[in-house]
Amino acid sequence: MEKRRAVVTGIGVVSPLGNSVAELYRGLLDGRSGIRAMTEWRGEFGRSIAGAPVVPDPEQVKQISRKVRRTMGNAALFAGLAAREAVTQSGLEPEFFSSGRVACVIGSTVGSAASMTEACVADYEGRRNDLSACHFFRLMSHSSSFNVADMFGINGPQLSTNSACASGLQALGEALELIQLGKVDAVVAGGSDESTPLVAASFQLLYALAEEEVPEPEKLSRPFDAGRTGLVCGEGAGILVVEELEHAKRRGAQILFEIAGYATNCSGWHVSHSDEVQTANCMKGALADAGISAEAVDYISAHATGTKVGDAAEASAIRAVFGGDTPVSSLKGHIGHTLGASGALEMAAVAGMMRDGLVLPTRNLEEVGDCSGILLPREVQERRVRVCLKNSIAFGGVNASLVCRSFE
Amino acid sequence: MDRNEIVKTVNSIFVERFEMDESELTPEKKIIEDLQLDSLDLVDMIVGLQQKFGIMLRDNPEIRNVRTLGDVYDLFEKLAKEHPEIADKIK
Repeated sequence: MEKRRAVVTGIGVVSPLGNSVAELYRGLLDGRSGIRAMTEWRGEFGRSIAGAPVVPDPEQVKQISRKVRRTMGNAALFAGLAAREAVTQSGLEPEFFSSGRVACVIGSTVGSAASMTEACVADYEGRRNDLSACHFFRLMSHSSSFNVADMFGINGPQLSTNSACASGLQALGEALELIQLGKVDAVVAGGSDESTPLVAASFQLLYALAEEEVPEPEKLSRPFDAGRTGLVCGEGAGILVVEELEHAKRRGAQILFEIAGYATNCSGWHVSHSDEVQTANCMKGALADAGISAEAVDYISAHATGTKVGDAAEASAIRAVFGGDTPVSSLKGHIGHTLGASGALEMAAVAGMMRDGLVLPTRNLEEVGDCSGILLPREVQERRVRVCLKNSIAFGGVNASLVCRSFE
Repeated sequence: MDRNEIVKTVNSIFVERFEMDESELTPEKKIIEDLQLDSLDLVDMIVGLQQKFGIMLRDNPEIRNVRTLGDVYDLFEKLAKEHPEIADKIK
């Protein structure tokens, strides 16, 4: 049986470089950084820690009805704002979302890290009775997914791919499979996350945070660089409207790109160790699913967060599958690690690269040491990006790879 | 604690928590039908009243019987007479 095909007809983001796809892409193209010193976290850390925060527009926030907004922590709020941009761009009629033929699949590391902390503090201080009736709904693991479903009246499947930093990309993969299987005709899919001192401290504890107090925090996130010292926590959301090809064609929708293949796997042996063999297997699986050879891939959007071990393992896996001639970059030098949002959020930028025939470089990459043997551009390159592969790698030993191609 | 103070305190919950305009808040308004509070909002109304007046209401059967905003004012007028210390606890 021939598989149904899935295309993207809408994209939305909330990011450390702005709250629209255009702002994010412009910022990346200009080589700007969304990273700054989180002086507001000084109390928790005793010094300045770098972060890549999102600043939502209060006017945009108000446009989400109170009865949805009351159950949203920041992660769900970011997802809602990004979803609205994506849905608007798709041009899909509002009634279609309540036809039973639309799914909502959005993942995050936890529903809302800040809400979880607030609940724990209230409990510890004996103030449980002060918590809102909505508090638990903000921190539930599928908070982003059900809140976005409620915003648009989506009444098909509602799923949440909560696999830490692979959440967003797994959601896009799930969207592809739901459409291939004929379960739905469109999916509002992606990832979201919010950053808090507790989130940053979780990485700090594992020696995975770039925590030096430096005069230029925007240089701290250095994926693939020999001098990298860890990741910088970001936050945000990336939401895509994924639609069945014929459905999109029938209504004359603008098709942004096709999601051609997907694979996800896990190491099966360790929660936090990198496993380059399984990362390579995952990429091979996504290529096989798409029916596309490694040689046909024009660009690889790496997960690379700036950790010592993780970046080297991913570089090694990429080298094993693609050799050293396919351009690779990580956008986390610009926007930090947006955690569960990262896969889908970064795909939003990759869509711009495919449209414009550009490859964006890794910000702050100056000297390639142990990540050598793969092609790491230092500047914006003009290059036809017809096929790209996006990786996400997460705690739990999880890998996800998505193969996308331009639609002609 | 006079009725005006009670009205002002109760109304502040509806303005702050439920984003209502002060001018909407008149005693005859039915909380569910007119002000459109749902089950979650009703719980949050109780949480808000508890915080503002500094007394526990969850297990008070009278709070479950309120239908209009005026019923809430009346209940707190009665509670203020029974518990004059409420006036000192208002936040």
